[in-house]
Amino acid sequence: MANLTDGSNPTHAHIDAILKENRVVLFMKGNRHFPQCGFSAQVVNILDEFLSSYKTVNVLSDPAIRDGIKAYSNWPTIPQLYVDGKFVGGCDIVREMQASGELGGVLGADAPRVVGGAGSSGAGGNAVTASADGPPKVTLSASAVAAFKQALGGSSDHPRLHIPSNFEHELFIDEKQAGDIEVEADGLVLLLDPGTARRANGVRIDFVTGGGGEGGFKIDNPNSPPRVQPLSVKAFKAMIDKGEKFELFDVRTPEERAIALIERARHLDDQGVDYLQGLPKDTPIVFHCHHGMRSRAAAERFLSTGFTRVYNLEGGIEAWSRDVDPTVPRY
Amino acid sequence: MSHHETNFQGDVIVAIVSAIESKIANSKADVNGGGGHYTIAVTSPAFAGLGRVDAQRLVYSAIAHLMAGDAAPVHAVDSLRTLVPPL
Repeated sequence: MANLTDGSNPTHAHIDAILKENRVVLFMKGNRHFPQCGFSAQVVNILDEFLSSYKTVNVLSDPAIRDGIKAYSNWPTIPQLYVDGKFVGGCDIVREMQASGELGGVLGADAPRVVGGAGSSGAGGNAVTASADGPPKVTLSASAVAAFKQALGGSSDHPRLHIPSNFEHELFIDEKQAGDIEVEADGLVLLLDPGTARRANGVRIDFVTGGGGEGGFKIDNPNSPPRVQPLSVKAFKAMIDKGEKFELFDVRTPEERAIALIERARHLDDQGVDYLQGLPKDTPIVFHCHHGMRSRAAAERFLSTGFTRVYNLEGGIEAWSRDVDPTVPRY
Repeated sequence: MSHHETNFQGDVIVAIVSAIESKIANSKADVNGGGGHYTIAVTSPAFAGLGRVDAQRLVYSAIAHLMAGDAAPVHAVDSLRTLVPPL
């Protein structure tokens, strides 16, 4: 236990102070953004799912702390998690508590069930609430609800939205897991794990169909950092059919353009570059090439110049010709 | 996995098992590993009613002598499970 009376243990006093000033403290090897041991990294990954901020102390930077915290806690290993001044456990214990669903409550990071909004896709005015640790506001359009219900049939499972830290959204059918946050819409329950819930505030899920009746889910997340978004030729066709606004650029050579073209694509020659650079940075821009590789590289470069809604046409003009418009020659 | 130098004589796993089973009542220890890193699972009614931290502390204190010092034979416990036997 801590010994403060005669000041002979300044390390214990130091640890006391850290625990008093910070609600959640992890004594670890390395730090939150650069863990230096697998067990410390596991605990960081788990805490990141629940909390946007917490204190970490790198025991590798101070041998007095490294030995001192083991004596203070009467616990021989690192990492060590403290909440509200009380020792919670090491890696094993934190993992067990996460699996049992009790960790959220211990961290004070539980999010209650959310009642989301179902509305027609035309309904505006779903304001994105600013709170970082409160329940996320997720909207499902009526067409998305219908598409989910059709996919589920009579299953007792639920649709799940998973948003990892790279914001590559995944949508799939799954069972409820301990700790899940639920969004209700029109008799449907959408599942979010705690990490996803932190990244899902303001998400809108829609289902878009193109002329041929095929379609796909479209997820808009205002929290996504700008990145090149893959766009399938079918989804692109649906965007065109719906009259959505965008600029299409063809990054191929003039020789290739002489063989086959997608209507309304601008060539990314010098003139095209000037035109593109003059556009507002939030203009949706779609890049295409023959197979989708050169256009991805071009898209990445333009992303770094400040454009926020950049798409790469997956499969290129080859996929466009094969799956959407066979009148476009293939080569 | 890193290997840790130790002066310990004899089989470390045997030492861990006997330390735990002699100090924790009616316990059965299942230990694997080597090179300083071990995984331990202990089953004992002594854990009944104890929180996770207190249960693990019983095990750690049973093997504290094997974890002490820079050349300790047990450098790290990669996984520790404390289980109560079924009724």
